[in-house]
Amino acid sequence: MSKALPLNYTPTISEWPIWKKLGALTGILALVGIYAPILWLMVMSVSGEPLSGIPGDFTGQWYNALATNTNWLWPLWLSVLLGIAVALTCMVCATLVGRAIPRIRHGKGAILAVTLLPLMIPGVVVGTALFLYLRVLLGLKMGMWSLFAGHLVWSFPFALLAVLVVALRFDTRLLESGADLGANAWQRFRGIEFPLLKDGIISGGLFAFLLSFNEIARSIYLRGRIETLPIYLWQQASTKTSNVPLIYSLNVIILIVSTVIVGIAFWLLFGRRDK
Amino acid sequence: MPSPSSSITRFASPSGVSPFGFSGVIAAWTLIVILPLLGLVLWSFLKLENFQLVWEPNLQAYRDLLSSGRWEVTIRTLRIAAIVTAIELVLAVPFAVWLAKGTRSTPVKVVTLAALTIPFFLSISARTIVWRAVLGLNGPVNAFLMNIGLTDRPLDWLLFSEFAVIVGLIGPYFPPMVFPLYLAVSLIDDELLAASKDLGASPAFTFWHVILPLALPGLGAGFIFTFIPMIGDPVVPELLGGGQVVVLASSVKSLLQVLNYTVAAALSVFMLAIMAGLAALLALMLGGRLKQRRPAGKVPQ
Repeated sequence: MSKALPLNYTPTISEWPIWKKLGALTGILALVGIYAPILWLMVMSVSGEPLSGIPGDFTGQWYNALATNTNWLWPLWLSVLLGIAVALTCMVCATLVGRAIPRIRHGKGAILAVTLLPLMIPGVVVGTALFLYLRVLLGLKMGMWSLFAGHLVWSFPFALLAVLVVALRFDTRLLESGADLGANAWQRFRGIEFPLLKDGIISGGLFAFLLSFNEIARSIYLRGRIETLPIYLWQQASTKTSNVPLIYSLNVIILIVSTVIVGIAFWLLFGRRDK
Repeated sequence: MPSPSSSITRFASPSGVSPFGFSGVIAAWTLIVILPLLGLVLWSFLKLENFQLVWEPNLQAYRDLLSSGRWEVTIRTLRIAAIVTAIELVLAVPFAVWLAKGTRSTPVKVVTLAALTIPFFLSISARTIVWRAVLGLNGPVNAFLMNIGLTDRPLDWLLFSEFAVIVGLIGPYFPPMVFPLYLAVSLIDDELLAASKDLGASPAFTFWHVILPLALPGLGAGFIFTFIPMIGDPVVPELLGGGQVVVLASSVKSLLQVLNYTVAAALSVFMLAIMAGLAALLALMLGGRLKQRRPAGKVPQ
């Protein structure tokens, strides 16, 4: 290949110093695109007139209002509950399927295609399909359980991918040597397989929780009368009532809490790797 | 080891896996994913009478779709998603390469990756309504443009337009594009890049012929995690489109609210059909390119 190089490629442009800086530049551009609204949100949450778009008249009244108007607590609780239920179910199911896929002989591709299918289908289509199936065909009443089903369909493929990453590298000969040394099936799973799959299972669960916690696209069709936190916040944002400034302060609190959680998670993750 | 001829010994093999839990999950999955999706296709061909589905196959829902002009929302949705995905690609590819290979500093990497993770926790509606104030007629963007004399009147197409929707989508859909790309590029062996350089390849040549082909799975994953969720996203288009930019999710929701089940199903199936067509076209084009490249690669040797 290197012989053909001088014919077609004149590397002058690529040797401009800007080429190396391009990556950092686009990244900073995108990060500004992400964080400028978030910073604006923080400034507005302490401004007197957040809806005017002009900061100033700094006040803590929207944080005080959050303590008196506690309508947001119930949606938050429901979202956390739903996220935990979806994450735990995903972890169990993804482990069951993920550890089996590398070891089955026939139909591996078909099973992968079927389980990863929801990744390829927009949420609105899955939501409509589930709504027509559960509500119209089976005549069931929508509620937390249908939200749970919708979130599961969305989160499970991600959790499965996370488990597969580690399961595909798992050496089954370890189980055979475990058996030779007298371990029974449960001991082999608990003592050999699970510790090696653990990282994939945990990250799959975290993915599942996050995806469920933020899910809107399917929830709007499946929620019945339930309000999860993203739906509550969206409805508040769409109306032009005086409640809107509350979302600003609520999101700043969520931002601070999640920054601390992500910080700890990354510190554990990278700290452990350095040792 | 005993011969695996009898099914009992195979079942008890220590590296084997019990089929019960596995098949149970797959069966449940078929019930809540495969059947509803097949049902969706079926319902789009049924007839609606007094808000009840009647078993009478016909194409009425698709005729309604075409005559009412609702099919246009699929084109609009796909156009917005494609434009934003293209912008994300342009931003994310150089950034992922830089983050994975360009910087050696661990703190920079950790802080950047954390900065990309945190937005996942934040409500998309709260991040989106901020743009309303920024892009609005009295907002800072218009004030700035008038100040420097680019325009003497506030621009009204900045907000409640496709432009606003595209601007609002760029931020939230950047991390899902970067993460798989970063992962794919960081898995490329440093030795390969060094070898490419030693053999006289320019950075651009290394990028096109070493990094990009090896990062292709990450590129595909990033595309799927960006393009497909964007098609289903109702929040940004409704908050920043202000009723002017009706996308698939809003259109289907309004159809379901008036209990027009068959047209809602037909619209969803129409979108799936277009996506499948585009995927087939893409596969055909990529397949053609690979076939062209293979014999060409053999010539220099």
